[in-house]
Amino acid sequence: MVPWAIEIVQAALVLALAPGLVGVVRWLKARLQSRRGAPPWQPYYELRKLFGKEVVVSSNASWLFRLAPYVVFASTAAAACLVPSLAVGRPLDAVGDLLVVVYLLLLGTVFLSLAGLDPGSAFGGMGSSREMTVAALAEPTVALAIFALALSAGSTNLGQIVGRTLTDPAAALSPGHLFAFAALFVVMLAETGRLPVDNPATHLELTMIHEAMVLEYSGRYLALIEWAAALKLLVFFALLGNLFLPWGVAVAATPVALTLALGSLLLKLAVIAVVVAVLETRVAKLRLFRVPELLSVSFVLALLAVTSSFLAR
Amino acid sequence: MTLETTACVLAYMVLAYLGGAVAALLPLRPDLTRALSAAAAIGGAVAGIVLAARVLIGGAPFALTVPALLSVGGGLALRLDTLGAFFLILVGVVAAPAALYGAGYSRAYTGRYSLRWLGAMLNLFLLTMSVVTLADNVLTFVLAWEAMSLASYFLVMTEHERADTVAAGGWYLAMTHVGLALILSAFLLLVPPSGGGSFAELRGMAVTLSPSLRGVVFVLAVLGFGSKAGLVPLHVWLPRAHPAAPSHVSALMSGVMVKLGVYGILRVALDLLGVGPAWWGALLIGLGAASALVGVLYALMEDDLKRLLAYSSVENVGLIFIGVGAGLLFTSLREPAAAALALAAALYHALNHAVFKGLLFLGAGAVAHATGTRDMNRLGGLVRRLPWTAACFLVGALAIGGLPPFNGFVSEWLLFQSLLPAIGSSAPLVAPVMTLAVGALALTAGLAAAAFVKAFGITFLALPRSVEAREAHEATATMRASMVVLAALCALLGLGAAFVLPALGGIVAGYAGLPRVVPPLTAGALLLPPGGGASMSPSLVAIGLLLAMGAAWVAVRVGAARGLRVSDTWGCGRIGQTPRMEYTSTAYAEPLRRVFAELYRPTEDLTIDVHPESRYFVQSIAYRSEIVPWFERYVYGPLVRRVAAVAGRTRAIQSGSAHAYLAYLVVALLALLAISLAWSG
Amino acid sequence: MDSLFAQLVVLESSLALIFGLVLLWRRGVPAYVNAFTWQSIVLALVAATVAWFGRQRELYVVAALLVLLKVIAIPRLLARMERRFATERELAPYVNTATSLVVAGLLVLFGYAVMRPVVAASELPTRAAMPLAMGLVLVSLFVVVSRKKALTQVIGFLVLENGIALLALLGAYGIPLIVELGVFLDALMGFLVMQIFVYRIHETFETLDVDQLDRLRH
Repeated sequence: MVPWAIEIVQAALVLALAPGLVGVVRWLKARLQSRRGAPPWQPYYELRKLFGKEVVVSSNASWLFRLAPYVVFASTAAAACLVPSLAVGRPLDAVGDLLVVVYLLLLGTVFLSLAGLDPGSAFGGMGSSREMTVAALAEPTVALAIFALALSAGSTNLGQIVGRTLTDPAAALSPGHLFAFAALFVVMLAETGRLPVDNPATHLELTMIHEAMVLEYSGRYLALIEWAAALKLLVFFALLGNLFLPWGVAVAATPVALTLALGSLLLKLAVIAVVVAVLETRVAKLRLFRVPELLSVSFVLALLAVTSSFLAR
Repeated sequence: MTLETTACVLAYMVLAYLGGAVAALLPLRPDLTRALSAAAAIGGAVAGIVLAARVLIGGAPFALTVPALLSVGGGLALRLDTLGAFFLILVGVVAAPAALYGAGYSRAYTGRYSLRWLGAMLNLFLLTMSVVTLADNVLTFVLAWEAMSLASYFLVMTEHERADTVAAGGWYLAMTHVGLALILSAFLLLVPPSGGGSFAELRGMAVTLSPSLRGVVFVLAVLGFGSKAGLVPLHVWLPRAHPAAPSHVSALMSGVMVKLGVYGILRVALDLLGVGPAWWGALLIGLGAASALVGVLYALMEDDLKRLLAYSSVENVGLIFIGVGAGLLFTSLREPAAAALALAAALYHALNHAVFKGLLFLGAGAVAHATGTRDMNRLGGLVRRLPWTAACFLVGALAIGGLPPFNGFVSEWLLFQSLLPAIGSSAPLVAPVMTLAVGALALTAGLAAAAFVKAFGITFLALPRSVEAREAHEATATMRASMVVLAALCALLGLGAAFVLPALGGIVAGYAGLPRVVPPLTAGALLLPPGGGASMSPSLVAIGLLLAMGAAWVAVRVGAARGLRVSDTWGCGRIGQTPRMEYTSTAYAEPLRRVFAELYRPTEDLTIDVHPESRYFVQSIAYRSEIVPWFERYVYGPLVRRVAAVAGRTRAIQSGSAHAYLAYLVVALLALLAISLAWSG
Repeated sequence: MDSLFAQLVVLESSLALIFGLVLLWRRGVPAYVNAFTWQSIVLALVAATVAWFGRQRELYVVAALLVLLKVIAIPRLLARMERRFATERELAPYVNTATSLVVAGLLVLFGYAVMRPVVAASELPTRAAMPLAMGLVLVSLFVVVSRKKALTQVIGFLVLENGIALLALLGAYGIPLIVELGVFLDALMGFLVMQIFVYRIHETFETLDVDQLDRLRH
């Protein structure tokens, strides 16, 4: 009974935290840019407002347009449940490994891209086409980074990767781990639509990816999609934090361990949020056709990760 | 007793197909011809599945020899073991829905093309494909193989008055015969001097061959069967021939016939030759990775829906070959558990691809049937006019894009897992090869998802881009039924992976270098590859997805506002949206075309007409861009030109005079006699 | 101890390799110079690491020389040249950026495959990093081949030299000091000669595009 209770607590926690994380990143960025900025809990207000509004659906859109927000939300939520945000050794560890998480996120991306095409607007098509380009090119990096992690852990199982680093702390500093971290970090920026790949703050049509795709959404549908996007950000942050620096993740299901795990999770999320905020303040958005170059940088990093993991054996 | 029942089932299958072929040729009403040939094909397909299931469940191979038939080459020898049975099931699983679909689809052919010929050839095609999986000696195999090629050639030529069909048929015929020549030479090297051609004798002979000769046989078999499977660089015929055939035949060719190339390589490499050196596996992985990438990259750029699907077949065959290659590599490294997993993953993907590619071709056929075009730039908005086709096509697209919880995801996950055990290997080159294979596999998966978002999104979503698309009609009931069956199979093969995978493990058990009993690859609802701790359960993932969707839906129903207003798509204040504002298929692929420009090397031609008064007023813009596939430009182009040049030169001896030809004959005869004299003397 | 040594060396060598890869990603000459400077710092670090753990006193001298020559002197000269030809950016290399990065990745993998037997035969704690040094050598060769401007080619040569030095440090704990000094001198001389060539090319053709050398034939 207890393990499932932990699962439910963890799922509820990540769902609740996700909008706050986006708010924190925005707030940090604002402070770094000498703006006062909206408070970190602003996204919660936005979600509440969106859920309370009526939906405007394009007359060209089909049932797919109305189905997509639910699929996007469900696939991201399912991926979030598989990620060991708080604890390892959970029943869901065995249900899906790191690859399943990645492909669940891809399922969401695909549905969002289809929904972008559905209303027939040029912006939607543009965003959809660009999103799939970025997603496709990010895929090999992700796979190789997973491969590099699996090289040291002997498995793609999330619990085992975490456990392996916990038992052998030196592994966290091994070059293979560091490169895989760098590669996944770049992928995270690309997949969650952060600078320098996409600008989450802009509504200038010609430069955007994610915002262009969801341009036709409103009301509760938009709320679900925004929530899912926040959840995706949290999934990536939690993966980066807990796979590469697993300390704090609860191994036993005791209240103390879980409290510690919560604390360390919040700390890791905050640290990565600061890094992302500083980065987004420092760099400019890349031209769309330099994005593949950035992704090939991350691919080379992942390749290096695999190569140095081979070397380390 | 049971043996005789099995023989009866076999006889029923053969008779059904043959009967169907004969019945189709009878001078009956067109409706009756279509119904009869389809019914016979379905009967034969079901009998084939029953036959294969008996062998798979019983475990014992079924053998039947008819020495009286074809006595020169050791008679007609049939034997069905687990490997053959798997591929026989593959034939049946696609054949039954495809034949059912064909009954409705070919109605449009009435009066334009010969329905009798179509029905007869379809049944013969199915019969010969089934016999290929059963053949147990060289003669039976090669005859069935060649008959299969010819039957499919005639099916490709159904719409014979179209110029591109004729060109496609020419390519197909040329490549298939090059392939046949290579396969024959591979077999001839294996036939013992005493002359028997049975596979058992070949197995005995293979042991005595020198390693280099075994290598030659392997390479010949890979090239020969690879040309049928569409392995790069022998794939050029496939994207031409498969789309040219009627859609249900395309489904059979892409779904099944291509897999028989895989079957041929497995038969030769795994069964006849036995354990080989590591480079066999590495070669197949390399060719597979190249095919996967080339296939998906050209699929992305394709605007013709069926050609897109055909290129995607090249891609998926590549994925299957990565698995087969990994399996062969692990057998030669003596890691039987990893080998069994890799081969099971490859077979799983073969089965999955048969199902979803069959489904997608049927869907594309329904679109072509409804609109008369396959050009995606003229389609769009079909989700409202063809809801059934759209839903089925969506399932197929998600499955082939490798998305959970459908079957494509399961087999791609297994392929990934089967590459992981290479980590522990200390053999040279294994690590780099596997790393590249993982990279190629992942890039292929990502690009395939993009290609099928494009295929589904542009064809079925947004506003119709032409009058034909606006006035499209839904497919007939039989066509819908067959698509629904295949879509359901896509879901079942994904959700029921825990039942399918152990069966596949049992199929490869006992072949060269593999254990008789493969360790269980599953535990409860979990897929559990041996060695690693990784596990996955597609059914539980699906349940999780459905639960999350349901919860979200209920929560939104209860907690959120319900208002819904239908309005125009936002167009920057411009009212009245037209299809010309939409992204087209070409535009959708443009970013990736730029990224991979060095490979595609597109030609671009931009003409802008401006107003005579001012160059700032553009009157019209014409943009043309074309991609000539790399292999055709740099490999086949020069080759064809050279062959044509040689042929041109030999024209000198073609005088047209009968006397001259007789003289050639006499000279050739004398020369032969002289050679044989010199030889014996 | 040895495992720490090995990890450090692998880490430093990978950093050196990454700075080599930067040449393929960035376009401006200042970025090239920066990457080269940082790489030389890392190289000096490798020398110091090997000196410390491998107890090779004279390698400290090598490290100091590296700092003097490659971290201070050559970057300054390069910066001066860059100021003079401020417009010469590597805008259109023969191979586009994304492709060249992927090619570089494959070259690293190839370097790994090539060095496997050497690594297997070696007993040194530094052996694990040798494939990375080989990768750096191959990548810098690729840089030299694929860049068009004389200035970027020169930096490519310098990076190649760094790669060879790294390989020597890892494979043999540095070649004897006297040879090392000779090599440094060679590098400096070579660099000065190349500098003169660059000036001449610029005077003759008003550009540093090496493609223009075709015109010499006519």
